[in-house]
Amino acid sequence: MLKKLISCFTALIIISYASASQAASKPKVTIYTSMYEDIIDAMTDVLHKKFPKYDVEFFYGGTGTLQAKIAAERDTKKLGCDMLMLADPSYALELKAEGLLHAYLSKEAENIALEYDREGYWYPVRNLNMILAYNPENCKKEDLPQSFKDFASNATMKGACSMPNPLTAGTALVAISALKDKYGYEYFDLLAQNRVMVESGSVALTKLETGECKEIMILEESVLKKREEESSSLEVIYPLDGPIGVPSPIMTIKDGWSAHNNAKICEELTDWFLSPEGQSYIVKGWMHSVLKNPPSIPYDSIPTAEIIKKAMPVNWANCLKERSELRTNFEERVKNKR
Amino acid sequence: MFAKDWLAAPHEKIRFDVKLVMILAIVAFLLIFNVFPMCYLIFRAFVNESGFTLDAFKRIFTYPLNWNALYNTLVTAGLSMVFGVMIAFPLAWLVGRTDLYGRKFFRTLFVMTYMVPPYVGAMAWLRLLNPRVGTLNVWLSDLFNLSGNPFDIYSIGGLVWVLTTFYYPFAFITISRAMEKMDPSLEEASKVSGASPLKTVMTVTFPIMLPSIVAAALLVFVSAASCYGIPSIIGAPGRLDTVTTRIIDYVYVGSAEGLTDATTLAVALMAIANVVLYVSTCICGKRQYITVSGKSTRPSIVELGKWRLPMTIAVGLFAIVVVVIPFATVAMTSFTKNLGKPLSLANFTTHYWHILFTRKGILDTATNSLIAASVAATAGIVIACVMAWLLTRTKAKGRHIPDFLITVGSGTPSVVIALALIMTMSGRFGINIYNTLTIMIIAYMIKYLLMGMRTVVSAMSQIHPSLEEAALISGAQWHRSFKDITLPLIAPSVVAGWFLIFMPSFYELTMSTLLYSANTKTIGYELFTYQTYHSQQTASAIATGILLMVIMVNWLLNKLTKGQFSI
Amino acid sequence: MASITLTDVTKSYGNVLIIHKFSEVFNNNEFVTLLGPSGCGKTTLLRMIAGFEKPTAGEIKIDNVVVSSPYHFVPPNRRGIGMVFQSYAVWPHMNVFDNVAYPLKIQRLSHMEIKRRVEKILESVHLSQYVKRLPSELSGGQQQRVALGRALVCNPRVLLLDEPLSNLDAKLRESMRFEIKEMQKQFGITVIYVTHDQSEAMAMSDKVVVFNKGVVQQIGSPMHIYNHPANQFVADFIGRINFIPGVASAGKIEFSGSQFMEYSGDKRGPVVVAVRPENITISEERGVLHGRLTQAYYMGDINDCRVDIACTCNHGDPALQVRVLTAGHTYGKIKTGSSLWLNFNEYLVFDHEEH
Repeated sequence: MLKKLISCFTALIIISYASASQAASKPKVTIYTSMYEDIIDAMTDVLHKKFPKYDVEFFYGGTGTLQAKIAAERDTKKLGCDMLMLADPSYALELKAEGLLHAYLSKEAENIALEYDREGYWYPVRNLNMILAYNPENCKKEDLPQSFKDFASNATMKGACSMPNPLTAGTALVAISALKDKYGYEYFDLLAQNRVMVESGSVALTKLETGECKEIMILEESVLKKREEESSSLEVIYPLDGPIGVPSPIMTIKDGWSAHNNAKICEELTDWFLSPEGQSYIVKGWMHSVLKNPPSIPYDSIPTAEIIKKAMPVNWANCLKERSELRTNFEERVKNKR
Repeated sequence: MFAKDWLAAPHEKIRFDVKLVMILAIVAFLLIFNVFPMCYLIFRAFVNESGFTLDAFKRIFTYPLNWNALYNTLVTAGLSMVFGVMIAFPLAWLVGRTDLYGRKFFRTLFVMTYMVPPYVGAMAWLRLLNPRVGTLNVWLSDLFNLSGNPFDIYSIGGLVWVLTTFYYPFAFITISRAMEKMDPSLEEASKVSGASPLKTVMTVTFPIMLPSIVAAALLVFVSAASCYGIPSIIGAPGRLDTVTTRIIDYVYVGSAEGLTDATTLAVALMAIANVVLYVSTCICGKRQYITVSGKSTRPSIVELGKWRLPMTIAVGLFAIVVVVIPFATVAMTSFTKNLGKPLSLANFTTHYWHILFTRKGILDTATNSLIAASVAATAGIVIACVMAWLLTRTKAKGRHIPDFLITVGSGTPSVVIALALIMTMSGRFGINIYNTLTIMIIAYMIKYLLMGMRTVVSAMSQIHPSLEEAALISGAQWHRSFKDITLPLIAPSVVAGWFLIFMPSFYELTMSTLLYSANTKTIGYELFTYQTYHSQQTASAIATGILLMVIMVNWLLNKLTKGQFSI
Repeated sequence: MASITLTDVTKSYGNVLIIHKFSEVFNNNEFVTLLGPSGCGKTTLLRMIAGFEKPTAGEIKIDNVVVSSPYHFVPPNRRGIGMVFQSYAVWPHMNVFDNVAYPLKIQRLSHMEIKRRVEKILESVHLSQYVKRLPSELSGGQQQRVALGRALVCNPRVLLLDEPLSNLDAKLRESMRFEIKEMQKQFGITVIYVTHDQSEAMAMSDKVVVFNKGVVQQIGSPMHIYNHPANQFVADFIGRINFIPGVASAGKIEFSGSQFMEYSGDKRGPVVVAVRPENITISEERGVLHGRLTQAYYMGDINDCRVDIACTCNHGDPALQVRVLTAGHTYGKIKTGSSLWLNFNEYLVFDHEEH
């Protein structure tokens, strides 16, 4: 009895293992992205209908994870992907400088409201914004800091505030770069004084809900998603010193380095992502469009033009150049303070 | 006439030594997939484009943050080890050898902790014990009218607490297996000599169990020291870095230099873990007791007498605090709409359970994990059995080499294994298994083989060799004897060992994070992303689902084998 | 059914010599006992015959077929041997029937045949009513019989027994002795029996091999070994014996306290006179040695007495006790404390050995 059970079980494992290792035959494009999986699910379906001849596959991961993966892959002279939709322009600048990217001048480029690579190595494809958020069930908005500056320096926030980790999240690195440019490294010391908790988005949102945190620095999309999907009462505060806008790029890995050497297909995909139709899925994913005439605005957000106008300036070249300096400073000034 | 038959068997002229072949096969596997990648990694730590350099070492070990992290790792892993064993030994004794009420129930309950991903549990403790509004904290301070909240989870103490509650089952499983196998007459002899039950435990049971206890302690130490999930959730907000979180930080720098730095630091962790592991293997390798003899005896149960009820209550309380409360928190979270409010009818939803059963990603990843973990566990347990046989039954030369390599593998932090595999197994050296399930299976095996192996080895070392010799003399060949005699006797341990490899592989996080491809994403990774990026409720629903599945499998197994096997 | 020929069999672990150049032939149907104190190498020799240990040097033949030599080694499962282990090695996960049937299953006999033979053997080991029991539900003696049945079930040429009775109580041990002996006669097999209990060896064996520290001391029938021990060790190990130190010269042996006895042998210098207690007679008339009765225990069939032969002569010497066995009915004829004379019916003289 038991013997049969075991042998059946073993057979099952072997069969399923064998079948799992089989692959499809359509031309394939793998995209590394840090977009939410819900959006990926929706987009996969659409792309399947739009480009039935291709097999487009998303591969989700946090920016840090994917960058580490790419770094390890780079060591083997071949990447596991064909396109990237992750991180911020500074990473695009880095990859461009290393000669890993494929240049393509998209016909949609002229409609883009934000800065893009004139040689066509990268285009912003979604506009993310670092903002502040609070829970109206626990605190009154007027009692809370209304700017990033105040967020770090207001003593009532001590031990009750949280921010994402710049070592693992690309957007957080951009944020501290912009904040450093504006307020200097002293800003980090202020964060440390306020005993800011450094952690990922969902953990921080939970802390906001339970009341452990009064106010958090987070991406706008996370809050909007929670509001729409869970009718959460959490609210966004657009900081007076400007939300930090992070135009996240779309890039194509050049043939030879890419996983499937399908750069031509990637060009088609790039056009689609930058088209009003593609952008409408970005907006559905609670992120702002990059177009001059955005198809719509994300659920419960403010108009895209307004958020771009208010945004705190970011120096992308600086952000790339000072990356390790920023990280080290953050580590030493914030993470290691108790 | 009969006599002639015996010797009529052909004299093998070219006799190949099966033992040697098996050792070679296992060593070859380990050399290719374990040693070579690690060596390459170490090589990379010292050699960059311009040749040999100690820059990375200088950079890493002159940085006070890293020393701090090293200190934190040693302290938290060390304390978790001490507390883990201090909890596990009496529990294993009470549950395994006394007439405690509900022994079987408690046993299953304690082992259950092992079946839950540590990062999910960590999240539950975070909610219960955070210093501002932790549920348990608030309740306790109301109850005793305290001026402040009694506990702060974001501290060394908090980290040790969560690590202990999640890693003591490692010790519990290892010790209680050995305890149940012990020859009761050894204890009876002590009692006859006039020793009290407690005295007997301290002077007879404990020393005899010492090898298992040391092995258990090591498992806890190494697991706690190379754990990433718990320190990243508990430690990060409290700004407590451990070596693993530092390594991940370096990895996430996302550059070649970051990788080198991560590697360099990882080499240090690897060294610590392995030195500790090896030294103690040497110490307790000399003390092997054979406690299951060829003589069959009924297991004896110590009667607790007037202590029976109080002891049961004590164990029950422990179970409530360590198992029930966090699990209930996780389960309740999966039904809660707004985590800021208590679970009530208005705040109740099955939405997340709906997601669990409908989202393709979750189902696909669960299938992937099921396959990968099953293959890893099955292949792993086969190696474990062969190794156990080689180690306890033969004097084959070099049998300690694979043992050592397996130990090194487990002592190596997951991140390091994953990076090393990516760098070496993606075609550059002739093997390309990157982006396949195979690479994950190999990673899981390297990391978790030791637990399965130790379980089987300890079971085997307790079986008197004469039982196998009796089979040989009955005419059975060694593999027949292994199948008919040894395997059935160690079967419960083999099943347990299988689960010890399967469960952590199933919800493995750190390595999967780096090794998965779009087709081979695992449930552990999915769970972690839900936990930290999307929705804790969905994560809780997944975790509860896994737990329910494990309980069901355990129940089925128990039923089918009439109580002979269970986790 | 089989003879076993051992030629210069040597076993050592590193520098530790366990067995040194053992050569002997064990004949068909012989009951051979390997006797010696623990750690003397007897079990190692048995395990080499079984095939669990490879000899460092030398050759083992069963029925003139080499099973072990430096060039050739037949594993235990192909030697056609039955063995009973000290710990019985009854498999705890199999019931009595399955335990005994195992060797037959290995030979792939038919179910019917297995059933028939197992039932037959269980009958001869008196276990017929316990067929379905698990070993944990049996007593020590019953488990031992399961082991015996399993060893005998496929008609082995040789049966090896490694201290099979040492875990049993005294009464059971005695009855098992005779059962094993019966079994040997019934099946007509060569038995090699390892024990440290000399009375077992005496009771069962055709041939006894006495070991000490890996070296054979003497080989012979129980009677020969008892009556003609080759050396002091054998004399001491087999049965009870008194050693009385003395100094031999032409015509006499002188003991401490200036007693002496006549001696016609050719040994000279320090010697030891070995006398078995039952070979000494006590009388009030003048005999060889003078002594004083210090203790006498009535045991029914015999009296166990102690006679001090030193103190009566010289008060400075330490007591030298001689053990004497006398017929039971003589108890009380001589009072403790009174002096008496000892006569030796049979005795041996060994050269004095430094221990």
